[in-house]
Amino acid sequence: MLLQVKNLRCGYGNLEVVHGVSLHVCAGEIVGLLGANGAGKSSLLRAIAGLLPPWHGEVLVEGRPTQGQPPWRGVSNSLSLVPEGKMIFADMSVRENLLIGGYHNRDRDLQMEVVLERFPRLRERLHQLGGTLSGGEQQMLALGRALMARPRLLLLDEPSMGLAPRMVELVFTEILKMKDLGLTVLIVEQNALAALSIADRAYVMETGEILLEGEPAELRHNPEVKRAYLGKGGVETPDAYESV
Amino acid sequence: MLMSLFDRRYEAMLRPELEQLQLERLQALVARLHRNVRRYREKLAEVRVESLESVARLPFTTPEDVLASFPYGMFAFPLREVIRLHSTLGPEGKPLVIGHTRNDLAQWARLAARQLSAAGVTANDVIQISLGASTHPAASGYVLGAELIEASVIAEDPLHIDYQIAMLRNYRPTILITTPTNALDLGRILEQRRIDPQSLHLRTVLLSRPVSGEIREQLAAALFASVQCSFGLGEILDPGLCVECEAGAFHVHEDQFLAEVCEGELVITTLAREAMPLLRYRTRVSAALCRDQCRCGRSGVILCPGARRDRRFLVHETAFYEGQIAEVLGQTRAAGHRFQLEASQRRLQVAIEMSEDLFANTVSSAESPKQQVESEILVRLGIEADVSFVEPPR
Repeated sequence: MLLQVKNLRCGYGNLEVVHGVSLHVCAGEIVGLLGANGAGKSSLLRAIAGLLPPWHGEVLVEGRPTQGQPPWRGVSNSLSLVPEGKMIFADMSVRENLLIGGYHNRDRDLQMEVVLERFPRLRERLHQLGGTLSGGEQQMLALGRALMARPRLLLLDEPSMGLAPRMVELVFTEILKMKDLGLTVLIVEQNALAALSIADRAYVMETGEILLEGEPAELRHNPEVKRAYLGKGGVETPDAYESV
Repeated sequence: MLMSLFDRRYEAMLRPELEQLQLERLQALVARLHRNVRRYREKLAEVRVESLESVARLPFTTPEDVLASFPYGMFAFPLREVIRLHSTLGPEGKPLVIGHTRNDLAQWARLAARQLSAAGVTANDVIQISLGASTHPAASGYVLGAELIEASVIAEDPLHIDYQIAMLRNYRPTILITTPTNALDLGRILEQRRIDPQSLHLRTVLLSRPVSGEIREQLAAALFASVQCSFGLGEILDPGLCVECEAGAFHVHEDQFLAEVCEGELVITTLAREAMPLLRYRTRVSAALCRDQCRCGRSGVILCPGARRDRRFLVHETAFYEGQIAEVLGQTRAAGHRFQLEASQRRLQVAIEMSEDLFANTVSSAESPKQQVESEILVRLGIEADVSFVEPPR
């Protein structure tokens, strides 16, 4: 298991938003973390990346606890986060954005070639300012920037956000290809259908708890997932059938 | 060995990984039960599962709890999502309803396939299932599993032994799934009729419940096949709780079930079941768990099932409780009389305490009430009983 999270609790101020969550990601897997807005998915991801200190529980990367290490250590621990809303540097060129991603990497020029090979669109726009790219291109740039660190585990936060459906498809195809590079991906998504289409396994999170875990085929058939995330079937409670 | 693992990823999962998976699934289960099942809502309100060890602080579920919410109160989903209903014997012979969603059935298929694979079943095999489908929901589990392995299942389950023998000769099944009693009958009749078991094509006989080593050897010789057993529980899964490996150990499917032994009783938590998840279900079966490394390569904890702890009898593979006999007697002249049961593998002895009114208004001898009770037990429970009348103790 590349990533192991055990009973993690975290939050902001006095407010706990992740109430004891456990999950794991095996090497080479794409794992989805699905859930509605405010379920605590992004907070969980930030805690895994070391940006949010856990209140309780453990995060282990390759069996080693990451507790107490500064977030930048995570990068050299082969873990890269692509934050929600891309967060690219709008006033810097595509090239500069990429170079920052590989800041600690001595072979970053070499790695840049690899990344540009993956995303030819970025090569075409290499000297353009990040802010002038389209939404889809910005997402590619954010992905490329994360790849510059040569991570083993990629943490993606809502890569589909704000993208046209066609663009979502393109970005997700790219993510799927990363698996062939030997990358492991944990992807947080509200767009359950898109995430289930590329994931090997997925977790469903609601109000700070994980409710379900399984393979996409199972989750697609799960009545709760169908109702809450795939927009099929009406809302019914089992209590209606209780005989008591 | 590691030869016949159907689901290697889970069956041979390393202990630390298995424990991580169990913790994840236990936490999700508690969250789902708290949200979706009213019976658990209050019990689980303040509960936090911090680690696998904290399972010991979670509330038990008893067969009586399940009975109290008969039929659908334990379901975590509305009935429209449940696509299969089985019933199983609950306390004092009252039925319990077990529901399955589509995912539950798919999982059942995989778990049954693990047992079939361990018995060496492949797509080249022909399987005869002689369980008496009407009384044995297990048959449908085996069919699901066999379909997954793509083995050929004979969709016919004749009760009469002659037809079973005819099927063995005509279809040439390589695998026979049956009850120990039926297997013993088959062996006996083959011998009586001087049919050489080697002329059949059986390779493996899979029995519906564990038997002693002695009976195993007897059957292996009589049917000229290797003998394997399965162990399941109607309320959990049967087959599908565990798998008997080549070394003869029952490995619990720990990716699906959390097994504990509390005061000698087997307690099972279903980790991934959708329709009817059960938290710390007291199975009323004595058991021991053993964490020894097994040479088959499976990592699931080894279960040694013992006797039942409630008064459940098994006669001719039909399970029943004393309460059911009392209920049947209530329909006869012997209503309200005290009785004693003695059950052997093939017959049930019922000794009813005599009283004057039992034979009042009967012109003939004691024969008539005896016949009435016997036929009533046969008709209602499918059990052949010997009824006798005894003097009440003074």
